Amino acid sequence: MTAPVLEVTDLAVHFPGRTGAPVRAVDGVSFAVAPGETLGLVGESGCGKSTVSNAVVGLVPPTRGSLRVMGTEMAGATRATKHEIRARVQMVFQDPVTSLNPRMSVGAAVGEPLLVRGLASGAALRARVDELLEEVGLRPEHAQRYPHQFSGGQRQRIVIARALALRPDLLVCDEPVSALDVSVRAQILNLLVELQQRRGMASLFVSHDLAVVRHVCDRVAVMYLGRLVELAPRDALFAAPRHPYTRALLAAVPEPDPVAQRAKPRVPLAGEIPSPSNPPPGCTFHTRCPFATERCRQEVPSLRPLGESMVACHHAETLA
Amino acid sequence: MTTEPALIVENLSLALGRANLVDGVGFSVAPGEVLALVGESGCGKSVTAQAIMRLLAPVIRQTGGRVLLAGQDITALPERAMRALRGQAMSMIFQEPQAALDPLATVGTHIAEALRRPLRDVRDQVLQMLAEVGISDPARRIDQYPFELSGGMCQRVMIACALISRPAVLLADEPTTALDVTIQAQILDLLRRLAAERRTAVVLITHDMGVVADIADRVAVMYAGRIAETGPTAQIFARPRHPYTSLLLASIPRLTDAPKSALAVIEGRVPTPAEFGPGCRFASRCPLADDTCRAATPPLRDMGDGRLSACFHAEQLP
Ligand SMILES: Nc1ncnc2c1ncn2[C@@H]1O[C@H](COP(=O)(O)OP(=O)(O)OP(=O)(O)O)[C@@H](O)[C@H]1O
Ligand code: SF4
Ligand code: SF4
Ligand SMILES: [Mg+2]
Repeated sequence: MTAPVLEVTDLAVHFPGRTGAPVRAVDGVSFAVAPGETLGLVGESGCGKSTVSNAVVGLVPPTRGSLRVMGTEMAGATRATKHEIRARVQMVFQDPVTSLNPRMSVGAAVGEPLLVRGLASGAALRARVDELLEEVGLRPEHAQRYPHQFSGGQRQRIVIARALALRPDLLVCDEPVSALDVSVRAQILNLLVELQQRRGMASLFVSHDLAVVRHVCDRVAVMYLGRLVELAPRDALFAAPRHPYTRALLAAVPEPDPVAQRAKPRVPLAGEIPSPSNPPPGCTFHTRCPFATERCRQEVPSLRPLGESMVACHHAETLA
Repeated sequence: MTTEPALIVENLSLALGRANLVDGVGFSVAPGEVLALVGESGCGKSVTAQAIMRLLAPVIRQTGGRVLLAGQDITALPERAMRALRGQAMSMIFQEPQAALDPLATVGTHIAEALRRPLRDVRDQVLQMLAEVGISDPARRIDQYPFELSGGMCQRVMIACALISRPAVLLADEPTTALDVTIQAQILDLLRRLAAERRTAVVLITHDMGVVADIADRVAVMYAGRIAETGPTAQIFARPRHPYTSLLLASIPRLTDAPKSALAVIEGRVPTPAEFGPGCRFASRCPLADDTCRAATPPLRDMGDGRLSACFHAEQLP
């Protein structure tokens, strides 16, 4: 097996809580991203998806655990090492409006990472910027313009061009299409798939939208209350979800097909997500799980292999 | 449908300065029916709902059209009379339930206010309504404040406020957009059940075709301030009669299609009101557009199957 681009082991990120108890935003998460692979991270609001991706790009410090990028440990690394590794990992955020400096021309924004690191300047830089703009479906003459002259979809293209400038090994995307209109979402999804295929770049793709994740990812990790509950190849996850939460999540996605949607059995998941500053003991899903037993209320299920999947549920076999 | 519509909107037009935001929009909703008003951000869905409630921002003017509530023209009603209707004969719920609730008022106070009675007089009725919208432990929740509730629970409280006076019409503006899918499924089930039981006519505003497929009886697709197409939900999804609807449906990734396959793309972007020309507003992005389309506005035409389409070339669609 080839060495992973990213290896996350037992990552925890706790924030100071309002009431004293820490917010356990991420609480012991492990996964790896192989070269050329896109790993999806899904789950509902507040489950810790963004915190994981923020930790991977170094925006929040881990409370515990290890983060290795191309084999280099980030926790406790020297500044110089971090700086070097950071160039290998780039991020695309949800909101293309706040991700771009309104006073910087598109060309300057896209070329900045190269200029700052002294990798290109002058004519060479301009040529590189033109190439990057073309790669994301924009035109070289767009380099002279400013972000406000572009629509949301085009701005997201600019953000992606900038993220690609340093030829990163890993692209981290946090809800890259959630802020876009439905009619331009497809443009950006097509671009992301094209880039995967053309560049063979690995990526970590965070989204709350299961259909989007299924469309662009090779493997999928499902998060609930700061932990992974299931990690599986895409087709296995969608064809045969193992964890009761994955099943409930899939059943709740309204499909844009009235015949199929109305024929679906309705098994609405009761209740709400508990607070991450006071997670339930044992399996944190037991407060909403229709299959919970005494064991679930006491013992934390570990993520273990089952068929092609990894699943954190005591009773996964009997549910199959 | 033989029952008289609970709500009729006729030829509604709205303007912001010279820009024409909404142009000749019309639809009707029968008691117990759910009509989805779908479209992308800025297409005029929310201002249409605000115009029906007469809650438009002062900068937006109604330049034409009528609103009929149970057959009565309410377009020219004085503000006093409108105030008597709002929350009584027609109610509205919003995307951000937390923002719509007063942080200093308890759940019970909010709902009693919708009945325009002091809470102590209507406590039992409020408790029953809380149970009906699926709030567990109503006796405890009734005295809680909005910050003590999750987003899903706040939306249930909003629905309780909106429906306790048994309005004929409920306008729901993206009521589940801010919620998680598992909570969204709960709220959609609740809306469907209450609309059926109480015979409430519901106008559901959304940009999510999945939500439309789940709950709507009929659909009105809006594009750039106009209705592109309206009709029964099943027909709109099975065989769209407007290029915009058809491309929109093809551009959505589905749980059933081939992963990583190229999605249909609608080139360009939605025009802003300042860019509206004389012709079809979809012409700049439409693969079927020709000179006819750019010269004149396509009228809504009867397609003969309960459907209206505003496209000159609807017959060319597969
Ligand atoms: N800087 C912070 N300080 C305190 N708590 C935080 C901070 N950032 C995140 N949290 C909390 O950590 C938990 C996980 O948040 P995170 O943003 O990672 O969730 P998410 O899965 O990305 O959710 P969404 O789908 O809403 O984007 C939440 O309870 C959140 O309120
Ligand atoms: S461990 Fe128990 S509570 Fe948790 S998901 Fe499995 S069955 Fe449900
Ligand atoms: S009228 Fe013309 S431009 Fe408008 S949707 Fe129909 S074919 Fe396209
Ligand atoms: Mg997030």
